[in-house]
Amino acid sequence: MSAFSAILPARWVKKWRSAVLSWALLFALAVVPLLIPSPNFKRLLFTTFLWVTTSIAWNLLGGFAGQVSFGFAVFYGIGAYTTALLMNAGVDPFIAFLASACTAALVSLVVGLPAFRLRGPYFAIATIGISEAVRVVMTNLSFTGGASGYRIVEHRPFSQLEHYYTALLLAAVAFTISWMIAHAKFGVGLSAIRQDEDAAADLGVNPYTHKLAAHALAAALTGMAGGVFARYAAFIHPGGVFGFHTSVQILLMPVIGGIATVWGPVLGGFVFGIVEEEIVATFPQIHLLLYGVLLILIILFEPGGILGGLNRVVRRFRGKH
Amino acid sequence: MENTNPPILQVENLTKHFGGLAAVRGVSFEVRERQIFGVIGPNGAGKTTLFGMIAGALKPSSGAVRSRGHDITGVRPFKLVKAGIARTHQIVRPFREMTVLENVQVAVHFGRNPVASAVAARERALEVLRSVGIDQLADNPASTLPVGSQKRLEIARALATQPDLLLCDEICGGLTHSETAAMLQLLRRIRDDGMTVMYVEHDVKAIIAVCDRIMVLNYGRKLAEGTPDHIQNDPAVIEAYLGTRTAGRS
Repeated sequence: MSAFSAILPARWVKKWRSAVLSWALLFALAVVPLLIPSPNFKRLLFTTFLWVTTSIAWNLLGGFAGQVSFGFAVFYGIGAYTTALLMNAGVDPFIAFLASACTAALVSLVVGLPAFRLRGPYFAIATIGISEAVRVVMTNLSFTGGASGYRIVEHRPFSQLEHYYTALLLAAVAFTISWMIAHAKFGVGLSAIRQDEDAAADLGVNPYTHKLAAHALAAALTGMAGGVFARYAAFIHPGGVFGFHTSVQILLMPVIGGIATVWGPVLGGFVFGIVEEEIVATFPQIHLLLYGVLLILIILFEPGGILGGLNRVVRRFRGKH
Repeated sequence: MENTNPPILQVENLTKHFGGLAAVRGVSFEVRERQIFGVIGPNGAGKTTLFGMIAGALKPSSGAVRSRGHDITGVRPFKLVKAGIARTHQIVRPFREMTVLENVQVAVHFGRNPVASAVAARERALEVLRSVGIDQLADNPASTLPVGSQKRLEIARALATQPDLLLCDEICGGLTHSETAAMLQLLRRIRDDGMTVMYVEHDVKAIIAVCDRIMVLNYGRKLAEGTPDHIQNDPAVIEAYLGTRTAGRS
């Protein structure tokens, strides 16, 4: 690395390493289900990819733009139900996923237009309220089966690999979008808003449209993840996809990994995706409590998450304070 | 030498109430192109409130602000930037996780003539830093700068939006004598480059030294307006700052 930094600016080396790392990871994940055919292993990675997707998506708004939302279950659920309804109407699942992205993005505007008039904790509280309201409505909506849930009838033969690669592709798309934003003008605007919204506005950044755009992108990705999940699960219910715990999980992953970074949410998604089932199985009654405790500990002691902690360790080893 | 340029900013009967208190009452004035227009007044005179209303941070209770014939009353700051009006902050507000250069880059990206490419934005940001004399600090984290440089960064960011009218709020607050002198020199150069400056300050000496025209506020009202010479000899101004002369002590 030091050989490169001698000839190239540091930020190019960083970009280059990031690109190599992401392609290597993508390749490894594309090959691994062919080497390890265990259905349980594939299932675990499949759900992990969906969590990575929602984690990256949440970070676009909550990390890059600094707008902490507790309402991402709305988009996950809307996406799940959109795909479910369309597939049962005979629509191709992949078109249904795109439709999920569109409806979730539209809903994000409906949520964002009023909610972004609020700032900081008030915005966060508003998203909780909206999310719970949507869950209650969905619980009582008769044509989706209300609280008893909704079953999806798949006409094609089941192929676990197809599900696996769909989820992997979605996660890769989410990562690419996140990486591009982080290196583009749009990302600069979001970062300025996170650090000082008023100062950003004084330099020409329109905070409102930036937040709405980040929200819509995040919602579209989360909605697609919901759709892909619904197709795999073949059964969804409001208490699951629209549940408050879904919102908390989606928020927890980027926080674990490292907020407002490109790799943090990926890391957090993987850690969470792999550990989550074990936690739920071992502590079925108190796993939400554990998430809460974990959230508080991270915010108190390592707000940068795993990535922030690693960076600190590396800096210490290199002797820079 | 009287400035006969057309006005770039026209303020008419601007008033702001906070509850029952009128912080600014019926203030009117004009700022002409290529002028350094100063606003002074004792503490609580309404300077900051007036500034906030013009800069789009506060909505006036009544009155109007116009720029080159366009009504800009209550227009949001990011739209003012597109209209060629930029501001600095009394208490500096750098983006703390960014370097000095990146701070200015934000303004180049989103200013009046937005630049999309990061490379081009960095180049122009560096030019601006050079013009205000802090280019050697470009790669430093913005949060580590001393006050003098932070104030210059405020100016650099505002200039990077390419304004015609620069609104400066107490830009010399907290600076040493020599830093103040250098800052005033910078304001003169900005004017000589073709921009207009509206400068709000409670340091009377700084205002007198740099401004072409001065308005004095007291208790939310306009007390006087004129050239620095005129203002220094205006009895009402002297009274507001020094109190009334009493018999036997003159």
